[in-house]
Amino acid sequence: MSTSTDLEPRPASFDNDPTKTIVETRNLGKVYRDFWGRKKVQALKSLDLEVRRGEIFGLLGPNGSGKSTTIKLMLGLLFPTQGRVFVFGKEATDVSKNERIGYLPEESYLYKFLNAEETLDFYGRLFDMPADVRRQRIENLIKMVKLEHARRRQLKEYSKGMTRRIGLAQALINEPEFLVLDEPTTGLDPLGTRDMKDLILRLRDEGKTILMCSHQLADVQDVCDRVAILHQGELKELGRVDSLLKIQDLTEIHASGLTDDAKRQIREIIEKSGGKVDRMDNPTTTMEDLFLEIVKESEQRPGRRGGRGGN
Amino acid sequence: MRLNPDHFWTYSEWLFQHNALRDGAILSVILALLGFVVGYIISVVKHGPSEGFLRVSQIIGQLFTVDLPKMSFRRIFAVAKLAVKESIRKKILVLIAIFIVAMMFAGWYLDPNADYPARLYLSFVLTATNYLVLLLGLFISCFSIPADIKSRTIYTITTKPVRPLEIFLGRVFGFAAIGTLILGIMGLLSYIFVVRGLDHDHGVESIDPSGRSGETSFDNRHRHTYTLNSEGRGTTNEVKGHRHIVTKVGDKVVVGGPIDDLTARIPIYAKGLSFTGRDGEINEGYNVGYMSEYQKYIEGDSLSRAVWRFEGVDKSLFKDVMLYDLTISAFRTYKGDIVTPVGGLIHFRSIDGKVKSEDEPFKVKEFQVDRRSVRTKLKGFIEDRPADLDFFKDIAPDGNFEVVIRCQDRGQYLGMAAADIYLRPADLQFWWNFVKGYISIWLQMFIVICFGVMFSTFLSGPVAVIATVAALVLGFFGFFVDDLVETTSKGGGPIESLIRLPTQMGSQIDLDLGNEALQTGILMVDRGILAAVSQLRNAVPNFSQLDTANFVAYGYNLFGGLLARHLTIAFGYFVLTALVSYFFLKTREMAA
Repeated sequence: MSTSTDLEPRPASFDNDPTKTIVETRNLGKVYRDFWGRKKVQALKSLDLEVRRGEIFGLLGPNGSGKSTTIKLMLGLLFPTQGRVFVFGKEATDVSKNERIGYLPEESYLYKFLNAEETLDFYGRLFDMPADVRRQRIENLIKMVKLEHARRRQLKEYSKGMTRRIGLAQALINEPEFLVLDEPTTGLDPLGTRDMKDLILRLRDEGKTILMCSHQLADVQDVCDRVAILHQGELKELGRVDSLLKIQDLTEIHASGLTDDAKRQIREIIEKSGGKVDRMDNPTTTMEDLFLEIVKESEQRPGRRGGRGGN
Repeated sequence: MRLNPDHFWTYSEWLFQHNALRDGAILSVILALLGFVVGYIISVVKHGPSEGFLRVSQIIGQLFTVDLPKMSFRRIFAVAKLAVKESIRKKILVLIAIFIVAMMFAGWYLDPNADYPARLYLSFVLTATNYLVLLLGLFISCFSIPADIKSRTIYTITTKPVRPLEIFLGRVFGFAAIGTLILGIMGLLSYIFVVRGLDHDHGVESIDPSGRSGETSFDNRHRHTYTLNSEGRGTTNEVKGHRHIVTKVGDKVVVGGPIDDLTARIPIYAKGLSFTGRDGEINEGYNVGYMSEYQKYIEGDSLSRAVWRFEGVDKSLFKDVMLYDLTISAFRTYKGDIVTPVGGLIHFRSIDGKVKSEDEPFKVKEFQVDRRSVRTKLKGFIEDRPADLDFFKDIAPDGNFEVVIRCQDRGQYLGMAAADIYLRPADLQFWWNFVKGYISIWLQMFIVICFGVMFSTFLSGPVAVIATVAALVLGFFGFFVDDLVETTSKGGGPIESLIRLPTQMGSQIDLDLGNEALQTGILMVDRGILAAVSQLRNAVPNFSQLDTANFVAYGYNLFGGLLARHLTIAFGYFVLTALVSYFFLKTREMAA
């Protein structure tokens, strides 16, 4: 049963400043019921959040935390049992909002008997695009996701990474303003992951708004401007990534070319001023950066083994 | 094959005089109200009374304000194309191979000794095609949307600006397209199979000394006799439903291929049939019991007669000869000379009865079509005085006339119905009638696809199959349901029967439970159940009525009016299933 707030008019921000908010959920809740209408599980409880234009918004949480349910409610694939969702100021169940949305589902649920061109042509037609526009977009997208060599192969022959890329291409066929990416880096190798992250950032720079959910916390940290952390259907944290991750009482200085004597002097200065040096060391790079560097070197000088690290 | 009076209704007669439009409108209103009430109840349970009403109204409003106007043919085409590819991917075309194998076996087993091989061949190909195509429609339509939901590919469709009606229409048109392709191939193969299967030649075995008649060779398990005119042209007699053209070329007599076996007669039927009894009084014809409820009978050697009234027959359709067919049956009250058929007399007369032709005797050809003719210049009587008559000047100056048949043999009866005599001005090209037969099959397939897709919008694949099969069974064998509903006196309705069976209470005695209130309650519930079943039966398409294979097999033109009616019925079900699908797709949580 809905509450009286469900019937309240849309929030003023949609009408007065339609450029600001892309998605708004108000008191959003979802209960899954069994065949007899008995409550099975409360997947989402009173969620209030906004996704703003031009940002990359991350939804984080363990399995069963309500991330996918939230996305499905925003896309109109599920109907809320409580509260409302507005996308572009319209009800989430309003089909016309989909004209401005691109959606990459968790496992690229595409028709395996179609090839890449046919897949993009099919989804292009669903956006009522004329043939010449479709052709141009298909060409560009196939190039962008680097599937030129496999454009005529049926998707059933694709690797997981290729499937993910064609899935992303179909999500972009309508040049959407708002992109929903469900686990975008799943199944991608580090190179593919880096490409995907670069692409997400590029799309943001082009002015698109992106909502993504992912288990890969490093990916979220790399690309998201703001995140919401869900647990057991409840919103636990919401804010900018940099401010959420900032440790207020620690100071980090990156410097190069310091001698041992210089390091000692720095330590003394810190201790004199009442501070405490927890650690002073050579930092390590991330495995992702190392891997990408090795691959890059290998492409430039094939056959040679790099000389990093010990045995 | 029996033609019923309703077969002859023109499209407008059916629509207006026989209330098809009114009944359709009433059914639509009832279904719309029912849909609204059911939708409202479900919505009230979910959202409460006021918001429930609001939501149902919104969905109805959106249909007319948004979803219908913003429908895109490009999107429908995309979904349809996908449905075609999906069907081909599922190796649906294997069905054609199955059909070819079935025809190969049929070639062995179809009885070449049959009286009418053409009828047998045509019945086989049409029935086999019909059932195979209905099965095809059933399976491709029922599993598609559930498979999309299961594999979640539906997510990538419903998150695009695709409207619920577009999903339904795309699927239906796509499956109809693949069905049309398969049906077209089957039709072509069937046509070749029938024409080749019936084609045969005869040589000439014996020639009469006069050279004008003779006998053909015994081929394809039969032989013919033939007669030639002075110009050396003629035809054979009719055996196994066909004849051959025979021509004399020099000294040689050449027998051509079979004719008249694959025909599409365009009959002109009488507007009415009336009877007079043995004393000359007007009656409804005699009923000879269960022999035939379709035909009524006239008594032999009495004043009993059957009179068909033809109206507005166009004389330009007939030159020297007017062809007509008779399909009259006999009922013998005594065996007599069983070899000799019962005889009758036929004459034509003007509406006022003042001008009439001479009586022409005939012998009843039971279970066969008696192909007869009457010359337009003929002998007869004007006010009982013998005269030479011109059919369309003296008997039927305005195209109106009557045909009168009497039975000659005392104690025997002749049976007839309105459709048992018809004029044959010309025949339609057989191939076109064959195509019309396939259009009929296509319409059935289309309805099955509509139902299959509709059920699949809210049921899983296997359950949708069961629901569609139930609709098919109810549609094909609805007359059993009619019997069940109409013969409530024999053992009562379902609950009453459940009481009678274990208590071994005979169906002839009244139900007596010793409790008046309980008994009345049971009877009322029974009546309610039977009424509901009856309504359900009326709501599903009557497939047995849509089946027109016999028109083609028996060589009758499939009337345009009848086909137009079937088209209208199919369109009605298309709209109905589209609306039901719309509401289910609109209210269904695809990710639930």
